[in-house]
Amino acid sequence: MVLKLITKVFRVSKALFVKSPAQEDVREHLMHPSERYRGEHRVNYETCIGCDSCNKICPTHAITMKHLPFKKQNIVPEVNLSVCIFCGLCEDVCPTKPEKSIVLSGGRYDMITGGWHEDQEQFWVNVDIPQSYIDTRLQEEEAARVKKELAAKKRAAEAALKEGKIEKKEPQIGNIDFSGGES
Amino acid sequence: MDTLKEILSSFESEYIENYKPTWLKVKIAHSADLLQVAKALKESGLKTISTVSATDFIEDNRIEMNYFFEDMLNRRNCWLKCDISRELENCKIDSITPLFKGASWHERETFSMFGVKFTGHDDLRPIIISQDYYGKNPFRKDFDWDTHEANTVENINLIADSFKREEAENEKNIDPNSSETVLNWGPTHPASGPIRLKVHCDGEDIIGIDPDIGFVWRALEHLVTKKDFVGAIVAVERLCFMDNINSMLSYAQAVEEIADVQITEFAKWMRVILGEVARISSHMMGMGGFYNAMGLHTVAMWNMDMREFFLDFLESYSGARIATASIEPGGVRYPLQKEMLVELQAALDKFDNTKEDIRAIFVKNPTMRLRASKLGFITEDEVHDYALCGVVARASGVKTDIRIDEPYAAYDKIKMDYVTQENGSSQDRLIQLFQEIEQSVDIIKQAKEHVEQKIQSKEFNPIKDHMVKVPKKLPKGEAISRVEWARGEVLMHLVTDEKAKSPYRLKMKAPSFNNTMMLNHLLKGKTLSDIPLVFGSLYICQGDLDR
Repeated sequence: MVLKLITKVFRVSKALFVKSPAQEDVREHLMHPSERYRGEHRVNYETCIGCDSCNKICPTHAITMKHLPFKKQNIVPEVNLSVCIFCGLCEDVCPTKPEKSIVLSGGRYDMITGGWHEDQEQFWVNVDIPQSYIDTRLQEEEAARVKKELAAKKRAAEAALKEGKIEKKEPQIGNIDFSGGES
Repeated sequence: MDTLKEILSSFESEYIENYKPTWLKVKIAHSADLLQVAKALKESGLKTISTVSATDFIEDNRIEMNYFFEDMLNRRNCWLKCDISRELENCKIDSITPLFKGASWHERETFSMFGVKFTGHDDLRPIIISQDYYGKNPFRKDFDWDTHEANTVENINLIADSFKREEAENEKNIDPNSSETVLNWGPTHPASGPIRLKVHCDGEDIIGIDPDIGFVWRALEHLVTKKDFVGAIVAVERLCFMDNINSMLSYAQAVEEIADVQITEFAKWMRVILGEVARISSHMMGMGGFYNAMGLHTVAMWNMDMREFFLDFLESYSGARIATASIEPGGVRYPLQKEMLVELQAALDKFDNTKEDIRAIFVKNPTMRLRASKLGFITEDEVHDYALCGVVARASGVKTDIRIDEPYAAYDKIKMDYVTQENGSSQDRLIQLFQEIEQSVDIIKQAKEHVEQKIQSKEFNPIKDHMVKVPKKLPKGEAISRVEWARGEVLMHLVTDEKAKSPYRLKMKAPSFNNTMMLNHLLKGKTLSDIPLVFGSLYICQGDLDR
């Protein structure tokens, strides 16, 4: 009787020390992890060249291109997850190397949203670009533009100089030749 | 084949040419000759009509009809074409349903989608499409989908109204002792899936069954024309998720034929492996479906457990368990890694360990035998008549298997034989499913061994060999491609235009359509309690039924 009681107490008290499987949060543990699992997209706005290929191939038109205030590489894909069918074709066509700019493989699988219409509208892979990045890009572009302008000016000046020289020289040569021929 | 040519040359035709080793392609000059030609073909042994497909050439103001006649046993088939007028009043052609019973629903489908009137068809009602599309011919090139879809509320009201009208006539008194009642079996019946069988019954007895289909009509054949040749795979695979690989395979083959691209040997073998894995996963669901219809869910659970291992392989390979999108025109989409073959081996081992249990408990199950061996008989002649194929045809003893008859991918290098049953009862179809799983496992083992060997000897490079480039723009052309899908023959007829970026027309013939056509024939005179069993044994999936 006492032994039974002790074993019972022991058995029950075990629950205090051993974590029950029900307590375990399995959301983070995949039953079958796969490297190629097509989950939530990750968009790398720094390497994206804005070629629009992913948008063109998307069979469900889930991708829209977000406009950026730059002159070049000024679009970047954003994905509507309620429309996306996770076929991964956008990743296939992305031309950037060595790493693709839009990647689903090994992406997040726990994409959860509320059940209301408004929640669906919020269910996007948005590309949040920090202001600092925009500023540096704009500065770079501005710097590049200034540099280019300067270079262009310089080139124009040089060309003008050259043309001037040639203009000066040509008649000289001609004169010499001409005179040489004459004499 | 020569006799066929002789027969056909007696009619006036634009051309008669050989197409593939087993096909003859003919375009007859006058559509009025069709019935005569069909009769001659039937007499010469082409007893089966696979499908009827129309192509709308709006610029030439004509509709081209394609008929695919088949001889299931002797590897000779005939692709017959003829032109008819596009104007609705003159868009007529003789119905071949009186000769080929299997054409009935295919002609109804063409009538619904293209407005082609088949004179002599005894039951030319719209099929698949809902009431709001009646008379509008949605697959014609000039149909405006956007305008149609803008009136959603009106469309839904139209459907609801016609349903109510129909409901009002659900009960008729025949005489004081009997009545004809329409019982709706489905679309919410536990065993039905999204299909409604309008069962006309007198008490317990079935007078006739009129299947109402189209609950999951996605107009896939139209959708692919809106996508490019690569993006179309995601529409094609949605034919049915259970075996998504083989439907993509069929489509990819058609594109490769038009683009004139040869895929690598490695890709061919990978297609075999992936295709058989998909076939197994589908057949396991099919067995589960059969028993589910009988009210026993254990086998579905057991099979589901095994199937997970095969899906693990698909997930490792493609990144998705069900909608894999893993076969593209030009090969297979992903490179293969060694660990995946280990996973595949685990799946095969799991099957080998479990199969004897499944066989002992479910395949030889005495209760099932008692019930299913006496129901749903399909004779060999009916198989030819109604153009049944795949599992259902082989369970009736017809030796047809496109993997052997018209080998594609690497099936010509695989040792396999026809698996058939004798009686064609519901029970035979279940046993057939199980034996085909065993056959598929055997094929996978052969293919796996071959691939491993070739990788070992460096003849295959699994990282680079999987794809060859297919041009984005295809030349004008058309092709048909047949594969042995899990449920039977899938025939895809692909038409492309000049410098095409997307398909001009893709007809997908899927086997469930013909299987559902059989229901009325099989269940007439039986009782209500037989419906689930026969329905379950026919291995119907609403995905490829509606498309």
